[in-house]
Amino acid sequence: MKGFKTLSRLPIILKFLKGKIKGPDDITKCTLCPNMCRNACPVGIVDGSETTSPSGKSKIGFLLRENVLEKNKENIFPMYMCLSCGCCENYCPFNFSVSDILHLIKTDVVEKGIIYDEFKKVLDNLEKYGYPYGPLKIHEAIKPITINPRQRILYLSGCIFRENNPEVISKTLNLFAKLDFNVSTISKEKCCGIPAYNIGDMKIFKDLAKNNTKIINGFKPDIVVTSCPSCALAYRILYPKNGFDINTRVLHITEFLMENISYLKLKKEKNMDVTFHDPCKLVNSLKKPNVFSEFLKKIYNENVVKPWRSGENTFCCGYGGSSICRIKPELADEIALERITELIDFSNTIITACPSCKLAFENAKKSIDKEVNILDIVEFVDSLQNK
Amino acid sequence: MPLKKESNKNKKIVENLEKQIGKNKISTKISDVISYSYDYWPISLHWILKKNFRIVPIAIVWPNSTEDIRKIIQICFKEKTPVYPFGGGSGVLGALSPEKEGIIIDLKRIRNIKINIENLLVECGAGVNGHYLESYLNNKGFTLGNIPQSLYPSTVGGWVGTKAIGQFSTRYGGIEQMVTGLEIVAPPGKVITLKPYPRTATGPDLRQFFIGSEGTLGVITKIWFKIWPNPEKRVKLAFISGNLKQAIDSIRNIMQTGARPAVVRIYDKIETKRHFYENEDIIGLVLTIIIIEGNSKIVDAETQIIKENHQGKQVKTEIVDHWLKTRFNVKEASEFVPMGVVFDTIEVAVGWNDAIKLYENVIKSMKQIKGVIFASAHASHFYPQGICFYFTFAGIPPVREKVVDFYNKVWKTAMDSTVENGGTISHHHGIGRQKTPWMNDELGQEGFVLLKKLKKCVDEKNIMNPGNMGV
Repeated sequence: MKGFKTLSRLPIILKFLKGKIKGPDDITKCTLCPNMCRNACPVGIVDGSETTSPSGKSKIGFLLRENVLEKNKENIFPMYMCLSCGCCENYCPFNFSVSDILHLIKTDVVEKGIIYDEFKKVLDNLEKYGYPYGPLKIHEAIKPITINPRQRILYLSGCIFRENNPEVISKTLNLFAKLDFNVSTISKEKCCGIPAYNIGDMKIFKDLAKNNTKIINGFKPDIVVTSCPSCALAYRILYPKNGFDINTRVLHITEFLMENISYLKLKKEKNMDVTFHDPCKLVNSLKKPNVFSEFLKKIYNENVVKPWRSGENTFCCGYGGSSICRIKPELADEIALERITELIDFSNTIITACPSCKLAFENAKKSIDKEVNILDIVEFVDSLQNK
Repeated sequence: MPLKKESNKNKKIVENLEKQIGKNKISTKISDVISYSYDYWPISLHWILKKNFRIVPIAIVWPNSTEDIRKIIQICFKEKTPVYPFGGGSGVLGALSPEKEGIIIDLKRIRNIKINIENLLVECGAGVNGHYLESYLNNKGFTLGNIPQSLYPSTVGGWVGTKAIGQFSTRYGGIEQMVTGLEIVAPPGKVITLKPYPRTATGPDLRQFFIGSEGTLGVITKIWFKIWPNPEKRVKLAFISGNLKQAIDSIRNIMQTGARPAVVRIYDKIETKRHFYENEDIIGLVLTIIIIEGNSKIVDAETQIIKENHQGKQVKTEIVDHWLKTRFNVKEASEFVPMGVVFDTIEVAVGWNDAIKLYENVIKSMKQIKGVIFASAHASHFYPQGICFYFTFAGIPPVREKVVDFYNKVWKTAMDSTVENGGTISHHHGIGRQKTPWMNDELGQEGFVLLKKLKKCVDEKNIMNPGNMGV
């Protein structure tokens, strides 16, 4: 009988090789990997810990799932040391996103009520106000509108701009007007739910998704345009995945501008070099690694200096994923500082296309002894327009 | 899973470390100590799946300066507490899967980089990620040329500590040829700086003494590497041969002309099929892939030499592109270990005269072990004097045989066969815990005794990675 088990297992392995049976699940595979994506992970590089490295997080997730580690606030911490930037996916031999792998663990711990106070506050606000920061901020620029049959665009500014940069919202609305688009806004626009999704509270995420889908579809717009790539990710990918379909195209502002580039009337003179930061959600989640840089090059030619680490090799600003900036803000700021320090090697004017990135760099530049200008793509286009 | 108990001595060490380098640089959390209990030794993967692994770290420290490390070593020396320097943890021989409780020093927060363009040198903190460094240099117009398969997870300190080598080694050399200077912190807490010179005749080279020491002599904190301008030209070539001898003889002739192609890889018939199965026309043959790069005039001359000297038939270069695209696809362990498959690679080196004999006997010896499904090899690094073979085996332990016993049985036969056939037991993975039993065969009794004495001289209390390499 010796060796019988060897022979009996061979057909199973052959079936696996031929794709006839499923092999180990994703978290097991990631757990057994020597971190072949560590180089792409901003947390892996800046935090420098095995525990928060991509496969290190999966390993802890695996041990939590298998009940080797008790599910408590100390042990679940590495699950939230992820920026959800998806950069790992570009190097993974299995094309895994660690963020997706960890999501199952996070939803499980949230269901069990193991939630950090910092998250509870956000989740409470989302549940009560539909806005992560507290009562919804109403800005003059975002007027309540009446449904107009000629409207084509529904513009959704997102919570971060609403909270921190209402001036970008005004400029975006002006830009739509200059391009002769009819634009609608929702004065009481609620959060897309991404923070709840990232934390793992699927109930709040789905409630917001249901409510937002109903409102957005009610407008019957031709296009939905968002300033935030995470909002675009939610409306375009996560909502349908969870059973909520937006009945129209959802575009991030960069994609929208690229589609309408021929209608932009911009100044020809260019008196400074600029560099750019590719937002990870646009690159990896929306799978548009080059749209931002191509758009910039088309409108600003050779004065756009391509930084080291762009496109699929971009490096998250540190504020992605909704969790690190809340429970380990010093790491988020360290990542942001690393990225901005790298970018100012190329130019002191940095263009980005994500409210989180702008916020991260605005905070990080306070630690730099140099004048740095952080512009959202709309602010940059606005500065080039013939007034 | 046995969880460790906190002793008073351990508590005292942690408190002392916290006092000396700061609380925010130390962790005793269970999630951290688990994460640092092992490296990428294939045996440890089975431990994880069985949820049965030992936990040895007392604490993990993340120093961000040489001074921090000096203080850590001082404390550990005083308390006779083991110290384990940790880079990317991608070592495959258990050098960082220790038995004794100790302090883990993770170097990944020491990652400053400074380029000296005039001297073609780069100064790096030991924790710099390998891919990060190479990309950083490429962006500035340079290359280090060290591209191991572990480029993405590993650190430059780990490369030096394990005497690593990269896929482009035939042109750029092993790590020991790239290092021009080193900074080390050794017990009882002394900083040794071996400055970077083009060459120096100042007694035995202490740099080489520390390269490959696998954490047993001190903590490597800073390294100066030679760098090169980014290659101006790259040529890709591929040849097929009817047998391994013809391919090996061809490369020997090429290497002995003085030509230095960056990449040369010869795959035996099994590996040609395993790695290039989509190319039906080369199945059943021995494949050689070659990349020549550097100054365009030198590349042209080397290309001509290679074409004139290779006895095989030249085939389409898309095969080389396929290798370039898939060379970092490390997925076998993830896919097969959970299915009960034991899988590993063994790298050895041998002179040209014994190459075929060693290849055939090592393969034969591994295949004789009951449960081995396949054993194969490719040759991946070449010298005018010889060759490195990289063997792969996979198998399923027969019933009633423990995974570890089966694994060690295959290893023993491969190592014994290597020694018997005139090879060295390690070309670039180092020694770790797995290859320790053959250190005596490798160095000879007197040589091994000398190495142990040297270790004792540097590390009198044996706190640096005790048990590793058998020293």
